[in-house]
Amino acid sequence: MEQLLDILQQTCPGIDFTASDHLIDDGIIDSLDLVTLVTVLMDEYDVEISVDDLVPENFNSVQAIYDLIERAKS
Amino acid sequence: MKAKSWVVMCLLLALALVLAVAALNFFVDPFGVFGQNVWYSYAETLNPRVGKTAYLMEHADEYDSYLVGCSSTSSYPVEELNEYLDAKFYNTIVYGADMQDTRLTVEWLLKNCTVKNIVLNVYIDNGLTWATGEDSLSYKLHEAVSGAGKVGFYGGYLLASPQYALDKIKAQQDDLVLPQSYNVFDEQTGAYDKRARDVENIGSLERYYESYPVFTNYPQGPSQLGYTDACMQDVAAIAALCRDAGVQLYVVCAPVYRDYFEGYSAEAITDFYTKLAAVTDYWDFSYSSVSCDARYFYDATHFRNDVGRMALARMFGDDSVYIPDDLGVYVTRENAEAHAQTLCAHEAAADTAAYTKDLPVLMYHDLLAEDDGTGAMTAEIFDEQMQALQSAGYTTVSLDEVYDYVYHGAELPEKPILITFDDGYRSNYELAYPILQKYGMKAAMFVIGVSVGKDTYKDTGVSITPHFSYEQAREMIASGLITIGSHTYDLHQSPQLDDAPVRETAGILPGESQADYAVVFSDDLAQSMQTIFAETGQPVTALAYPEGVYTTLSQVLCREAGLLATFSSDAHSNTLVRGLAQCLYAMGRYSVTPCSGAELIALLDGAE
Amino acid sequence: MSFTSLTFLAFLAGLIVLYYILPRKCQWALLLAASCAFYLCGGAKTIGYLAFTALTTYTAGRRLGVLNTRWKALDAQEKKTRKRAHDRRRKGVVWLVCLLNFGVLFALKYWAFLAEALLRRTGLHIFAPELLMPVGVSFYTFQSIGYVVDCYRGKVQPQKNFAKYALFVSFFPQIVQGPIGRYDALAPQLLAEHELDWENIRGGLQLALWGYFKKLLLAERTAALVNTVFASPETYGGAVLVLGVFGYCVQLYCDFSGGIDISRGTAQMLGITMAENFQRPIFARSLTEYWRRWHISLGSWMRDYVFYPLALSRPFRALGSFARKHFRGMLSKIFATSMATFVVYFIIGVWHGANFRYLAFGLYNGVLITAALLLEPLFVRVREKLPLCWDGWLWRGVQMLRTGAIVFIGRYITRAPRLTTALSMLRRSVTDFSLSQLRGGALFSLGMTKADWLVVLAGLFVLLAVEMYQERGGGARALLARQKPAVQGFVTLAWLAALLLGALGGYTGAGFIYAQY
Repeated sequence: MEQLLDILQQTCPGIDFTASDHLIDDGIIDSLDLVTLVTVLMDEYDVEISVDDLVPENFNSVQAIYDLIERAKS
Repeated sequence: MKAKSWVVMCLLLALALVLAVAALNFFVDPFGVFGQNVWYSYAETLNPRVGKTAYLMEHADEYDSYLVGCSSTSSYPVEELNEYLDAKFYNTIVYGADMQDTRLTVEWLLKNCTVKNIVLNVYIDNGLTWATGEDSLSYKLHEAVSGAGKVGFYGGYLLASPQYALDKIKAQQDDLVLPQSYNVFDEQTGAYDKRARDVENIGSLERYYESYPVFTNYPQGPSQLGYTDACMQDVAAIAALCRDAGVQLYVVCAPVYRDYFEGYSAEAITDFYTKLAAVTDYWDFSYSSVSCDARYFYDATHFRNDVGRMALARMFGDDSVYIPDDLGVYVTRENAEAHAQTLCAHEAAADTAAYTKDLPVLMYHDLLAEDDGTGAMTAEIFDEQMQALQSAGYTTVSLDEVYDYVYHGAELPEKPILITFDDGYRSNYELAYPILQKYGMKAAMFVIGVSVGKDTYKDTGVSITPHFSYEQAREMIASGLITIGSHTYDLHQSPQLDDAPVRETAGILPGESQADYAVVFSDDLAQSMQTIFAETGQPVTALAYPEGVYTTLSQVLCREAGLLATFSSDAHSNTLVRGLAQCLYAMGRYSVTPCSGAELIALLDGAE
Repeated sequence: MSFTSLTFLAFLAGLIVLYYILPRKCQWALLLAASCAFYLCGGAKTIGYLAFTALTTYTAGRRLGVLNTRWKALDAQEKKTRKRAHDRRRKGVVWLVCLLNFGVLFALKYWAFLAEALLRRTGLHIFAPELLMPVGVSFYTFQSIGYVVDCYRGKVQPQKNFAKYALFVSFFPQIVQGPIGRYDALAPQLLAEHELDWENIRGGLQLALWGYFKKLLLAERTAALVNTVFASPETYGGAVLVLGVFGYCVQLYCDFSGGIDISRGTAQMLGITMAENFQRPIFARSLTEYWRRWHISLGSWMRDYVFYPLALSRPFRALGSFARKHFRGMLSKIFATSMATFVVYFIIGVWHGANFRYLAFGLYNGVLITAALLLEPLFVRVREKLPLCWDGWLWRGVQMLRTGAIVFIGRYITRAPRLTTALSMLRRSVTDFSLSQLRGGALFSLGMTKADWLVVLAGLFVLLAVEMYQERGGGARALLARQKPAVQGFVTLAWLAALLLGALGGYTGAGFIYAQY
């Protein structure tokens, strides 16, 4: 989690990822940030995230993102 | 409020609003389609197609002949046509009419009205557009003419913007006599109400260009006519309709301003005029010396009523009217080709010397027998001035001679000059008249009705400069040298001696409505003309405005009263134009100071 | 059939009555019939295009459905061996249907343009028929392709009944200008049975009336101003140009969002909720946020069906990895993303029309958005250093104004007849700006009378007030419903009267036509 938060914060320095549990729904993360994040995460964790996974539920909180990566790993 | 209640309320309110607008449009009836609150001139201005049809639906029994065509059709005066053909003409002109509109109008006329004659005006623009099928409220045809459905037609006018109705209500408050931008048609004749433009003073071409710059820089139009064939099909249809109905049809081609006409290519022109000849014979006035002089046009696409008068005189062989030799050619199949070639050669030119003449007018008032040291005009100076005029080659002319030149094309002497006296002072009779007699010179004297023969002001007993009497006037008239004109009956009042409101001039008083002013002016003018005629046996044909003050409305009223000339005190010479009556209105005059004869000649030579 | 015509109102009234009278089962069929009638009224000659798109995408959906069903029936072992073939087939279907439909769209928009360019450059004649643009071609194409991709992704079950699918493609409130609907959100509603609900009737009617308010009172009047100014921009001073572009912003927003409100209101009266398309873009605080609030359905379509697949595609991921290795700082992270952004704006530009200025408009947005991303770290540092109130109303206002200015400048590019004209207009808006250009009656010679200006100003005031209320989370319709009946009645009356006055058009003024004589 710590490591993930670091990566996120570095990638998008303008976003406070802990601010909300509805990062997407509140418009804190927009589609540009999202794509940048996903490509970075795919590289860092060496996982596959497909377009189908790009839904708000998977990115609304750091926990959700963490879960997504865990799922993708398996 | 429950949702259902709101929806019901909303629908009811919408319905009520729509009904309110419909009611407003129905009862105010700006387009004149519901027969309410009738004001045809207004309705016709908003939409002449609809307004005129609506008018004729009620008034067709007053007419038996019709002019049809686009806006230039307006300038064939129905008064002359009525005389020539012993008919009762109505002018159905609508702006922007194409030949399809015109054919539909003729069809409707033949079906719904008694028709003896139809004068069809064909303008070269009729080859430019055809069947534009305009559907806006201001352009569409009446459903009775177009055959479009009643529901759409009347529904459209019921739901017209309420602004139209409000505008009409506002216009109805105006107390105006002359046409405004919202009532440009004359209800009786159907023609454009051009009274104001028919009395504007026309002088030199330069002055005209200054007032109407459109003539000097005429916008380049199209050079091809895309709809000549379609137009001619409709002309043929109109000819056939008239033939079948036993109606006499006259086809005329309206005069076209040179710069516009010459914009069209030779093929377009040849095509248009030969194809027209293929379907009907016609009088062609399109292109002549008249086309080359802007003064014969109101604007670049509309010729003047006076030109229409000349054209009709040519058609009906009226020799009493001046007509330029090259105006009007009767075109048939036989001469169509040759005529088209003449048109394309663009050889017409305006030889202004042949039909215009410079006429300076001098204005005198009182004369003194002896110099009293005040620097006023004396008999001696007047004598010297007259002598100088004669030696300089000027010939004095009478008003009648001037009229003959303008109306009938008679000749004037080489250097004509008109001498006028205002106010009718006794010195004019006692001092000026003998001098004029001595040199055999002519003059016009304008008398104020209330002061003829008086040496006191009205009933006040206050003494004033004496005025000559009617007996003296009769004597002068009998000499053949003097014409008596009007200087109004009592519109040259004295602020010291008259009760308010004082009318020092024939102008409109501050705050006075046009309608009130018109009554005052007309009554005064009538009284003046009747009195002078009764006393001298000579009809009054001219008026000099006190202090030179005039209004467009006073000019119009003078012309309607039958005056042929009016004089201002504007210091300019005049250009007489044959065939254009209004060059005689508000003519300029030089107020002559007690200068030497040589100085007077120098002034005249230096002017225009 | 224009939304602002009497025919449409009559059509709608008749439809709503029938819709709630007929047996509920027939509702969707009635909607389909009404949609066909609506389309035939507007473009009978081009209904073939619509049918083509409906048929091809329907077939593609069915085919993908069959493929997916077959795939599911396989066991794990088979899935492994045949995954490639399966993916290739599915992709083949999607590509084919995209090629067909976008090919038609492209041909319609560009054929004449290309033929002319070719003729000019090389003198070569190619066959260029005058193609009639089918009504709403872009919108139904996007919507149908979205459906196919959703089928491909397994997000929706393909529709087996062609008539039902045809209703999804041709549903009349959205056919002309969107919003672009998603099958999973829209289709179930279209096919469901709807009971008469007065709340829906009221809500829909109010929404539609609001749309008419924007269209008739604001858009149509400002259109006259905009057309006058842009007909001969070279003759006007900077102040008039600025006013003209401002008028265009008002016209564009009011016409488009007004039309959408009418669409959504209409649908709501039928018990159907359509996607939002505008979310008060004037309050956007950044350009990206602006585009999230403007033409939302197109933006989200582009995001889901172009941007995401593109950005996560192999080439772009490779590009991203490359950038992270070889570049430094922010650029290394966002390089691939911003490239993908450029591609999307390029596509939007191309879609708008055959002109360089649309491409320039795409570039303009792409550059600004990328620049904002690049400068983000710098900005974060500034924010940390300066103890200002970064979330106060003042800063928010500055952000809105800044965003507004950026959008405003962009509008020069989209509305001017040529890119060069836009640039020279922009230049003169600054160098030749003087308020005296609006004085002395100049303001009233630009296609709008004094009354028109008053109406537009009052209308903008109402619009702004309502949007501000909504922006704070309030519902304008709910607010109205809470008022006393008399107040509701008065507001409704004023509203309808304003609409009626705006709608009863064709006023040219007494003697106006005659002015030439």
